[in-house]
Amino acid sequence: MMVGILTGFGVALFGFVWQTSLGGISRKVVARLQKRYGPKWYQEFLDIFKLLSKRATSHGWIFDLGVIMALGGIIATAAFMPVTNDIFAFADFDNFFIYVYLIAVGMLGMAMSASGSGNPLASIGVMRALTTMLAYEVPFMVIVMVIIKHAGTSSLRGIAMAQQDAGMWYMVALPLGFIVAFICLLGMLGKKPFETYIAPAELASGPMVEYGGKQLGMLFIMHEITVFIEVSLFVHLFLGGAENIFVFLLKYFVVYSVANLVSNVNGRFKIDQVVVFFYKWILPLAMIQAFVALYMNGWWN
Amino acid sequence: MESTKFSPITKLSKEEVDRKWWEIGDFFRRNSLWMLMYCTGCCAIELPPAMTSAYDMERLGMGPMATPRQADVLLVTGYLSLKTLRRVIYTYEQMSEPKYIVGFGSCTINGGIYHDSHVVINQLDQYIPVDTYVAGCMPNTEAVMNGFIDLMSLIKNKKADGWKRYKENYEWYKKNQIDSLGEVQVHDEYHQ
Amino acid sequence: MTNTINNVEFVRNLVEDNYKVNKTEVIDQYQVSFEVEKEEVHRLLAQLRSEGWIQMSYLSAIDWIADNEFELVYIVFNWEKPVYIQVRTRLDRDNPVMESIMPIHPGCKYYEREAHEYFGIEFPGNPDFHKPLILEDWDDMPPLRKDFDPRAYSDAHFSSREYPETHENTLGQESKVAQRESRMARVFKVGKGGKK
Repeated sequence: MMVGILTGFGVALFGFVWQTSLGGISRKVVARLQKRYGPKWYQEFLDIFKLLSKRATSHGWIFDLGVIMALGGIIATAAFMPVTNDIFAFADFDNFFIYVYLIAVGMLGMAMSASGSGNPLASIGVMRALTTMLAYEVPFMVIVMVIIKHAGTSSLRGIAMAQQDAGMWYMVALPLGFIVAFICLLGMLGKKPFETYIAPAELASGPMVEYGGKQLGMLFIMHEITVFIEVSLFVHLFLGGAENIFVFLLKYFVVYSVANLVSNVNGRFKIDQVVVFFYKWILPLAMIQAFVALYMNGWWN
Repeated sequence: MESTKFSPITKLSKEEVDRKWWEIGDFFRRNSLWMLMYCTGCCAIELPPAMTSAYDMERLGMGPMATPRQADVLLVTGYLSLKTLRRVIYTYEQMSEPKYIVGFGSCTINGGIYHDSHVVINQLDQYIPVDTYVAGCMPNTEAVMNGFIDLMSLIKNKKADGWKRYKENYEWYKKNQIDSLGEVQVHDEYHQ
Repeated sequence: MTNTINNVEFVRNLVEDNYKVNKTEVIDQYQVSFEVEKEEVHRLLAQLRSEGWIQMSYLSAIDWIADNEFELVYIVFNWEKPVYIQVRTRLDRDNPVMESIMPIHPGCKYYEREAHEYFGIEFPGNPDFHKPLILEDWDDMPPLRKDFDPRAYSDAHFSSREYPETHENTLGQESKVAQRESRMARVFKVGKGGKK
């Protein structure tokens, strides 16, 4: 049990360090695309430690408690994530639905503290975040249910090993599902077409408007670990997990870089455009994929 | 030769430990400055060239930030009328410490070409403490980058202590503000 | 071309035939200016509005301190027959009161507030012409009058930076005049250059 908890913390720490370095590298890549030099690769570390060293004002105990709850919830979620086939923390709790529950704790913590700050812009940002979540969760769950039915298990390691044994990833077997899940991944990460909930210049950063100093540093750490959880989920579900750590790092790097490059050439949707886009285009694609995968299994033979 | 096993180990005193923590903090703070671009006057037009391709500001670690609570540096670009100065003082007092101010253009130094106007203040550091100025009307973009690097080296040498001066000499700053502004509370139709 | 001359002629006929005009000035093919008496402004603006001059472009004042008068300028514009019409009146400087034209053009509310704040002209009929619009906590005379000295105000209220009066050469360079002369001497000593 103690070994499991320590391994869990190790996984969370590894995810934080890897994702923060990757954030700096992707900022450099985007800067080179725009014909300028970018920041150093460890710039995100400097940002987070600078934020942790500033004194900020607090708006009461709900404000501080929400941030700590968000950060704690996310570290607990990351502890369950298997990294490769052999590095995992808790063998019995390796289930997809745990992530669905526990990511909500992080969101809830941020919503609680943002509404405790009393700024109306924070409330607008939180409302938009929950609306976006409503939009992208439905197609994503449809696709993941198809995968779980097909693989026969809802454990992430089980799904990854099923892909490795069959020799074909779900990216190739369910191509429409892959496209749907990729776009939902962009929504989950809060990247450019669906960036309405942060909206840096429009809402003055949405829910993060009243934070400064240490609370903002903790929120940044929470955001990095959330990105790690979501991209790892995508790698395990669609790209076949990983046998060893280098393959995992390579797949993670490719997925995150493609997501970053796609998001940097797009503008930002309005919130009603986000919901209409997901329900008009993405959900029918997910339904078609589900229908083809479940009922027409092997009709071409 | 004395072996180190028996010679007394020097323990750092409390001031030295504090100073070392503060130095580490200064390293992080000077390499990742987030700016709140309070673009009060015409000098604000010198900021986009400093942010985009040719004179890239992001490689120094600086970037724009949306609210005063999240920013470290308040860039006061251009002339300040009385109305704007009241709101700048509000904004400055909302920022989290440690915080720095950079004054852009000649209008913050001595009034610039608006020195004989009845609504433009002449000297910015009577009202809020300024760490460094960038002179010019407008300053050249290389001068802007030079100003930022000067700010970073001031932080390194621990001379950028405007926020401490504001706290220590608060009555003097307040007296100056009330002398020139009348009162610092913002009374307009939208705040009643 | 004939269309716009017709416009200006149309305007001149419309105004000069029905109102007592002190001075007319045709500035170019799109701008005409009439100076009328204070009592006729409302009737003139209402008639112009019914003829199509529906947009109030500007309202401001000029301070003729030598004549001891304010001159109010109303500029209206028509989108069908494009001519800017300037309607000018003279007000007494010691008691500047002008009935507000809010029933005709409701958008002049903020212009009249600005004119009151900067010149001191009063507009009864405008419900809140005395509220400050641009200047906050202003306690002196209205600033755009010609007998207000902004420099004296600035020197009295805002401290200015003092510089030392010494002119020392701290970097050890020559003066600019000496540098320029040595440069010219170098140029002429070398000559026209090149081989003969």
